[in-house]
Amino acid sequence: MTIANSSRSRKAKAQLFILRVLAYLFIGILVAMCLFFFVMLLLMSSKSNSQLQGAFSLKWGGHFLENLHNAWNDASTNIPRGMVNSFIVAMSSALITTYFSALTAYGIHVYEFRFKRAIFTFIMAIMMIPAQVSAVGFIQLAYKFGLTNKLWLLILPGMAAPVVFFYMKQYLESVLPLEMVEAARIDGSSEFRIFNEVVLPIMKPAVAVQMIFSFVSSWNNYFMPSLLLTKPEKRTVPIMIAMLRSADYSKFDMGKVFMFILLAILPVMLVYAVLSKSIIKGVTSGSVKG
Amino acid sequence: MSEVKLVNIKKVYPVIERNKNKKNVNGHRTGNLQITDEGVVAVQEFSLDIADKEFIVLVGPSGCGKSTTLRMVAGLEEITSGELYIDGEYMNDVAPKDRDIAMVFQNYALYPHMTVYQNMAYSLKIQKASREEIDRKVREAAEILDITDYLDRKPKELSGGQRQRVAIGRAIVRHPKALLMDEPLSNLDAKLRNQMRAEIIKLRERINTTFIYVTHDQTEAMTLGDRIVVMKDGYIQQIATPQEVFDHPSNLFVAGFIGTPQMNFFDAELKLRDGDYWVDVEGASVRLADEKQERLKANHVEEQAVTLGVRPEHLLLADKGIAGKVTVSELMGSSRHLHLTVHGKDVIIIVPSTGGSGNYIGSEVALSFDGSNAHVFSKATEKNLEY
Ligand SMILES: Nc1ncnc2c1ncn2[C@@H]1O[C@H](COP(=O)(O)OP(=O)(O)O)[C@@H](O)[C@H]1O
Ligand SMILES: [Mg+2]
Repeated sequence: MTIANSSRSRKAKAQLFILRVLAYLFIGILVAMCLFFFVMLLLMSSKSNSQLQGAFSLKWGGHFLENLHNAWNDASTNIPRGMVNSFIVAMSSALITTYFSALTAYGIHVYEFRFKRAIFTFIMAIMMIPAQVSAVGFIQLAYKFGLTNKLWLLILPGMAAPVVFFYMKQYLESVLPLEMVEAARIDGSSEFRIFNEVVLPIMKPAVAVQMIFSFVSSWNNYFMPSLLLTKPEKRTVPIMIAMLRSADYSKFDMGKVFMFILLAILPVMLVYAVLSKSIIKGVTSGSVKG
Repeated sequence: MSEVKLVNIKKVYPVIERNKNKKNVNGHRTGNLQITDEGVVAVQEFSLDIADKEFIVLVGPSGCGKSTTLRMVAGLEEITSGELYIDGEYMNDVAPKDRDIAMVFQNYALYPHMTVYQNMAYSLKIQKASREEIDRKVREAAEILDITDYLDRKPKELSGGQRQRVAIGRAIVRHPKALLMDEPLSNLDAKLRNQMRAEIIKLRERINTTFIYVTHDQTEAMTLGDRIVVMKDGYIQQIATPQEVFDHPSNLFVAGFIGTPQMNFFDAELKLRDGDYWVDVEGASVRLADEKQERLKANHVEEQAVTLGVRPEHLLLADKGIAGKVTVSELMGSSRHLHLTVHGKDVIIIVPSTGGSGNYIGSEVALSFDGSNAHVFSKATEKNLEY
């Protein structure tokens, strides 16, 4: 019996082993597919223009620092300036979007007031209007008031973000028992303080997710900035990259271009790396009520 | 350390479509609550004087308005009409934070991102107490509740019982005028609940404050309360000491709600013989005790058909009396519960367990009771005729 048992368990073990191998193989392929483009980009940005014109090779080009130097000091684009501008806009709108959406969601979730449903429906309805439609009026307004080339004009509209609001509200409903708010009220906290000190920390995972999303979409945004920012020193990174296309082709340094793109995605990866920690932490510490 | 006075308090919840998250914690439905044009009347005609340092328990079945009453005292729920005074001050429109009360919730409602220490310190921090004072008070409260070892932990690293201690600690740390508790033990398992109940009795001796305690569990009410308030469908049924409620329940509802197993009810006749009140039930005839005679006489109660109530522990096996047949016998250790059928109705009695196996099932028995343990209720109003 023991022999039969052990042979059966050996068989089960072997099966498990094969399954594991297959699973890891599958995951490995997925990871490779995701990393492929980053590796290629890194590789390309290490090559000189002539290397890039020649045959494709997987060898490290060795011109990485040179390209970096060229890209960083490129007179016509001024990438450091662009990155600072982009970062200001993306970070501020990420903060503003998530904070005010969370605040609105909290208000709708916790308070009872007249026309609550109507207000909720109204916010949701805004979601249906394509950004391009409202953009026309917005841009006209900006030009009429002479508000072009103001970075805050790209930041402020983020305050009203129905999709983020909706996400925050759903999240609140699942994690925030009203008793917790009431406990804080009895503890003597003011309504605003309750939001900042009790509710916001609980919402950290949701805030992190939405901050990543809005940072990325704001960082990559080309449409609005291209219409509102005309002065060179106000340009954001996507505008600068777009401008490269129209640059003089004879002076086109492809190595520099790849370096530009690498620089452009770096902050996004950085923000993701920092914020994703609180997402994972949030998932594992999920239970609030217990 | 203060008196709380409620005068004719009423609460009406407007009937509006509530979103899911507003559903009551217990998820119960509106039972026999009065519904008017304005909405659901959750509590009405609630008047109560709570003395300084008194332990008041609100008890009643789910949905009877206990939490609503407590929440109105806390200021979490608006008072529709009536007056609330704490230490003589009119409190109806005062914000919760300015009432100087503390509250413990059924689901603890601890702040999950703060440590136990921070949870307890939060209210003091808001009051801008000094670091030393906060530290002293938190440690003092932690000492009382025996949670000093957990001060650096987060709530999620604690068991249910420990969390409830922390919740109580958070409430007592700033020495509130009144400590409100809404079913604080309901989320705990039976053993822990008994243990915590004893802890609360001890706690009460160590911190001198007024307690208002809500529970649906009559055992908790009987063991904890100086006085208990029995509620049903938004109305107070009786306010009295546990002993008084047990011995003289004001109506059928209270009689049935307090005490386990439930009081037995029989159809009976109340008779006057030679100026004395007798109950005739199923062939047995019992003279009521003198104390009851006086109460009934004072009320000029007339002969009538009544509902007779006798508690299981007061029904005795006798040679003759109410005839019944044993259907179930449960040994509870020191005593035995016998379920009988008396004229098609179920009756429970408690008899001492005599050691032997005692085959009761199927046997015909007769029951009697003492005149001091008989409760007579009006058929029409269901009120105890003594009142
Ligand atoms: N926010 C509310 N809106 C409408 N009805 C409510 C609300 N809260 C409680 N009720 C109703 O009021 C009644 C009393 O509720 P509650 O005081 O919570 O009862 P309990 O005695 O179980 O604590 C219940 O029938 C409940 O359905
Ligand atoms: Mg309740």
